[in-house]
Amino acid sequence: MMLIRMKEGDKLEFNNNIPIYLQVMEKVKQDIVSGKLKPGEKMQSSREYSNELGINFNTVARVYKELENEKIVFTKRGLGTFITESAEQIDSLRYDMAKKQIVTFIEGMKQIGYTKEEMIRFIETENNYIEGNE
Amino acid sequence: MLKLIKLEFIRKSKLIAMTLITAVAINMFLITRGVTGSSMFLVLFPPALFILYLVDIIKMYSEDLNKKTGYMLFMTPNSGYKIISSKLLTAVLEGFAIILIYFIFILINGIYIIISTGAEIDYSQVIRVVDRFMSGNLGFSLGHVFVILLTALAFLIAFITTVYTAMTIRKSIFSEIKFGGLLSFIIFLLINWALSYVSDKFFDLISPYYDSIGTRAAGGISTGELAMGLLPLIAVLIIQAIALTGFSGYLLEKKINL
Amino acid sequence: MNKLNLLQINDLTKKYYNKTALSNVSLNFEPGKIYGLLGPNGSGKTTLMKVVAGLHKQTSGSVLINDEELSYKTKAYVSYMPTENFMYDSFRVIDIAKFYNSMYEDFRLDYALNLINEIKIDLNHKISNLSSGQIGKLKAVIALSRDTDIYMLDEPLNGVDVLSRDTIMDIITKSYNENKVIIISTHLVSEIEKILDTVIFLKDGMVEIFGNAEELRQSRQLSVEGLYKEVFRNA
Repeated sequence: MMLIRMKEGDKLEFNNNIPIYLQVMEKVKQDIVSGKLKPGEKMQSSREYSNELGINFNTVARVYKELENEKIVFTKRGLGTFITESAEQIDSLRYDMAKKQIVTFIEGMKQIGYTKEEMIRFIETENNYIEGNE
Repeated sequence: MLKLIKLEFIRKSKLIAMTLITAVAINMFLITRGVTGSSMFLVLFPPALFILYLVDIIKMYSEDLNKKTGYMLFMTPNSGYKIISSKLLTAVLEGFAIILIYFIFILINGIYIIISTGAEIDYSQVIRVVDRFMSGNLGFSLGHVFVILLTALAFLIAFITTVYTAMTIRKSIFSEIKFGGLLSFIIFLLINWALSYVSDKFFDLISPYYDSIGTRAAGGISTGELAMGLLPLIAVLIIQAIALTGFSGYLLEKKINL
Repeated sequence: MNKLNLLQINDLTKKYYNKTALSNVSLNFEPGKIYGLLGPNGSGKTTLMKVVAGLHKQTSGSVLINDEELSYKTKAYVSYMPTENFMYDSFRVIDIAKFYNSMYEDFRLDYALNLINEIKIDLNHKISNLSSGQIGKLKAVIALSRDTDIYMLDEPLNGVDVLSRDTIMDIITKSYNENKVIIISTHLVSEIEKILDTVIFLKDGMVEIFGNAEELRQSRQLSVEGLYKEVFRNA
C-alpha cells in the first residue's frame, strides 16, 4: 500500500486502479499522524470533503464509516464526525503506518540484495544527509 | 399556452422588426412617386407579405423539428397537442396582425391619395372617407377587402396545417424510413387531394345556398353578403385546420423521434 | 411513494431502420447515486437518454419515472443536457435562463445566475458568440439549475477545454443530493470515474457491465478506464 505523496498546495491526485476510499482513508490517517488533524478535531462534513477532493459523496461517506469502525474517528449524532481523542489510538495508528513503511522498505531492499547491517547503515547516512539539508 | 405563443413571437421579433421597417421605408420611397407609387405599394404588399408569412410559419415549425434547437421546446413538459396548437395560434395571430397592419397602410396611403386629388378630409371620419373613395373609384370597399383577406388567411392556415401534418409525419411515423421526405410529400399531396374531395362533396351539398346568393349578387354584392357567401368555405377550412392540428398533436405525443 | 427506483427501464428496445440502438435494456436507477453510462460512440448512450427525456419513442419496453409511464408530464422530472449545442443562437444567456425559468417550475433562477457569474459568462452575450468551452459550462449549469429528480448529462466534457472540465465536474459533484439521480454518459472515463458510484457499460445497445465503481476496482484491480479499455478493445 503506497502512502499518498502530496506536495503542499496540490489538489490530491487519485490512483484510479485502487479503490478510492482506501486512498482517502490513508490520507486522513496521514493527516492525523502528521498532526494536520488534531485529536478531537471536528472533520469536514462528507459533502464538504467530497467537494474538496472532487470525488463521489458516497465514497467519502464510506471512508468516515470505515474509519469509525477502526475507531480512528467517531460520530456524534447531529454534531458531526470527530478525530479520536485517544492518544493511544493515534500512537497505535502511527505505529501501524510506520510498520507498513518498514515492511515495504525491508522487502524492497532485500530484493536488491541488501543485508540488515547494510540497510541500517544506509538509513543512518541518508538520514544525516537529509537532516543536513533541512 | 400563452407562454408558448409568446416564445414564438420572441423568436421572430427581429424578423418582425426588420419587415416593418423595410415596409415603411419602401412605402415612403414609393410615396415620393406620387399616387401611382402609393397604390403600387398597396397592391404589392399583400402578395409580398403572404410569401413572407408562409415562409415564416413553415420555418417556425421546421426548425423545431429538424434542428437541434428543437430540443429547447420539446424537452419542456408540454403535450404535443399544446405545442402544435401554439404554433397554429401564433400563425393566426400573426396573420391577423399582418391584415391589421395592411389596413393601417391602406388608411395612410388612402389619405395621401385622397389629398392628392385635392379633396378635403375630415380626419374624424377617416375610415368612412377612404371606404367611400374606394367604393366610388374601385367598386369595392374596405369591408370587401377585409372579408377577402380573411378568407385568404383561412386558406393559408388550412394549407399550412397540411404542411405541418406532412412534416410531423416525416419526423414520426416515417422518421426511420428511407426516402421519408419523399413519402411525406406524397402524403401531403394525398391529404390535400382527400380534403378537396371531401369539401367538394360538401359544397355540392350546399349548392342551393350559393344559388340564392348568386341571384342577388348580380346587382352588386355587399360586404355582408360576401361574408355570408364565403362563410361555409371559411368554416370548412377552419375544421380542416383543427382536425389536422389534432392529428399532428397526436403524432407529436406518441410517435415523435427527434 | 416508492422512491427506491426513481427511474426504471424495463426491456427497452429502440430500432431504427438500419440498426438497433438499444436491445432489451433493463436498468434501475436509485436516488442518491451518480451513474456513469459508459461506452464508445454508437453504443446507445444518447438514445437511452433521449428516450427517457421523451425526445424519441421506444420501439418496445417500458420506462417508469417515479412509477409513471413516460409522457409529456414525466419531462418535468427529468433534466436532460444534450451533447450538442442546442440553445437558440439568437438568444442571450439571460434569455436562455429566463426561458427555463418560464418553462420549468423547478428552475432555480437565482442559483443559475450566480453560477453563470461564477463561471465568468456574461449574461448579455449571445449564444452564437460563446466559445465551445463556455457553451459546455453553460449547458451543464442550466441543466443542473433545475431542482428535479433525474439529471442526465450527455457527454458533458466533450469539446470542452481541460480547465472548464474541472469546473463542470465541480458543478456536478456539488449538485449531488441523496434524493436525486445523476446519470453521466461519457467516453472520457479517466476524468470522470472518481465521481461515479455505479458504472454501466453499454456495448452495441446492450448492458455489458453494471456495478459499483469501487467494487470493480477492488475485484478487478483495474481502474474503470482500464476495464473500459478491456471491454471495448475491439469496439
